[in-house]
Amino acid sequence: MTISKNGEICLALLVAVLFILPCLMLGLIYEEAPYHTVAGEPVREAADAAGISVADVEGTLWNMAGATGGKTYTLTDPEGDTAYIATQAFDSAESRDAAVRLYNAHAPGKGKQVGSMIVVGQYIVYATPVNSPIFAKLVPALQQAAKATT
Amino acid sequence: MSEAPIANKKVLGLFALAMINVAAVLSIRNFPSMAVYGWSCIGWYVLGAIVFLIPISLAGAELATGWPEGGGVYAWVKQAFGEKGGFVALFCEWSNNLVWFPTVLSFTASTLAFALTPDLAANPWFMFAVMMIVFWGTTAIAYFGEETSTKFSNIGVILGSIVPSLLIIGLGLWWLGSGQKIVIPHFTLAQTVPTINLSTLPFFATIVLLFAGMEMAGFHALETKNPQRDFPRAMALSAVIIVICTVLATLAIAIVIPASQLNLASGVMQAIQYFFDAAGITWLVGPMALLITLGGVVNLAAWLIGPAKGLGIVAEEGNMPPLFDKTNKYGAPVAVLLIQALIGSVISLLYVFLPSVNQAYWILSAMTVELLCIVYILVFAALIKLRYSKPDTPRPFKIPGGMIGVWIVGGLGLFGTVLSFIVGLMPPMYFTNWIVYVGSVLLGTFLLAVPPLIFLKFKHPGWLKKQNGGEQP
Repeated sequence: MTISKNGEICLALLVAVLFILPCLMLGLIYEEAPYHTVAGEPVREAADAAGISVADVEGTLWNMAGATGGKTYTLTDPEGDTAYIATQAFDSAESRDAAVRLYNAHAPGKGKQVGSMIVVGQYIVYATPVNSPIFAKLVPALQQAAKATT
Repeated sequence: MSEAPIANKKVLGLFALAMINVAAVLSIRNFPSMAVYGWSCIGWYVLGAIVFLIPISLAGAELATGWPEGGGVYAWVKQAFGEKGGFVALFCEWSNNLVWFPTVLSFTASTLAFALTPDLAANPWFMFAVMMIVFWGTTAIAYFGEETSTKFSNIGVILGSIVPSLLIIGLGLWWLGSGQKIVIPHFTLAQTVPTINLSTLPFFATIVLLFAGMEMAGFHALETKNPQRDFPRAMALSAVIIVICTVLATLAIAIVIPASQLNLASGVMQAIQYFFDAAGITWLVGPMALLITLGGVVNLAAWLIGPAKGLGIVAEEGNMPPLFDKTNKYGAPVAVLLIQALIGSVISLLYVFLPSVNQAYWILSAMTVELLCIVYILVFAALIKLRYSKPDTPRPFKIPGGMIGVWIVGGLGLFGTVLSFIVGLMPPMYFTNWIVYVGSVLLGTFLLAVPPLIFLKFKHPGWLKKQNGGEQP
């Protein structure tokens, strides 16, 4: 099969599109996480609703621009699993999104990120281990809290 | 049409080759994430070494000395599985970079922001501007060919990766020697054993690919003074430097910084600041940030230059349209570098300014994992196949133990990478719709791996350079 000069340019453009397509597709599929104030302690409330015990809580302030404080929870469930879930509030959508970028930028090597992270209003909620079943139980309630505006 | 190139100057010796691999693999940004695991990080590193680092180093040494041609993984896999296999392997190595570039660029920009004023990290315009300066600047270094990029790589990797690692290790030793409190439990052998269950399984893929890039020197075979002698030694030297720096620096961080400080909050610089504050050398945080920024740039450069050179070779062999086959007088594949920089810039733009892409970055990371696994599966399979199909090809370095040795090495590597591929398809438990997740990862991986098949479908003799017997259209 032969191809003209214009065809070659089209081929190059097609390849470029193939690269940008997955990123664009994901950007469009996933809803932007709105920045709004979520009242109370979403993780504690989600844990209470899911019947998960809060074994320990510590206040934390991350050394990041715009971070205004949060808590680190040690959670246990009746199956004997333990999860460490940290929350941190940010004073603006920009500083919160910068923290998300920092999280993505620290994926070791060329692998995936360590831990799981979701955004809930002004909070970043970060859980380890990465596939924590406890975190999985909390996520529906957290996602609900993320949608609700006050 | 290409400018008359300076024909492949042999500028690379043992040290330069080793530094290319170190630049590609050793990254300070890995340390805090791994330090969270305390003593068990030793077990994770050992696991990564057994199922990936050692196999890829041995496989790379044998293949690079047996087929010391340009193109790295392309040349090796082509020998075993033909042009199509080689092209797919190389393209996957190149294409995963384009998705990964924003990660390392964002790391570099946020580290530089920390050195200047941390608030800048929240400014997307600052982030994007720095990312673009670094990306196009590194591309410009690659433009000036092997000699320039080698000098940059040698100096950069020492200053930006090895020196900071040694500094962290030295501070850890000082911490121990001065009787300060160790924040992890006292060492027992049992604590080094990693916990492997469904919760931690996704981390397996991460740990395997932590050492990805050990094959990077293979892309520079044409510029190597004595590939048969230097490749195996460079593999060994780089593996030793990487393991020592990685394991000891991770442990140094783990014994000083409490795990509660080593979660998401622990960007590298946040961890370093905690470390240096504790050691009373806060003034060193800024210079350290600059060095680590340089380390990020060198890490980027290694991945940006190697696979692009490989793709230049593929284009030169007439497997891609002449549009891609443009080299300058320094022998740099300018067309590939330019296309790479343009696509990478667009993806970086989306990454910084489209927050929903940020949210979906887990899936993009999974695509990177899958593409890299394809590369290494093909390399390990080629290692085994070539021992059967081309047993008489001289290999100045041969994996010891005959066929059994090759099967053990190739088998371990295949086990690690195939398992990583499967694990890479596992969605995090909080993804409610796993079909969408797996479908997205597989579709994205397919889109990023399929272009070689399109090129080969349209390939025609006019794509070959005149000097190779073809015609320029």
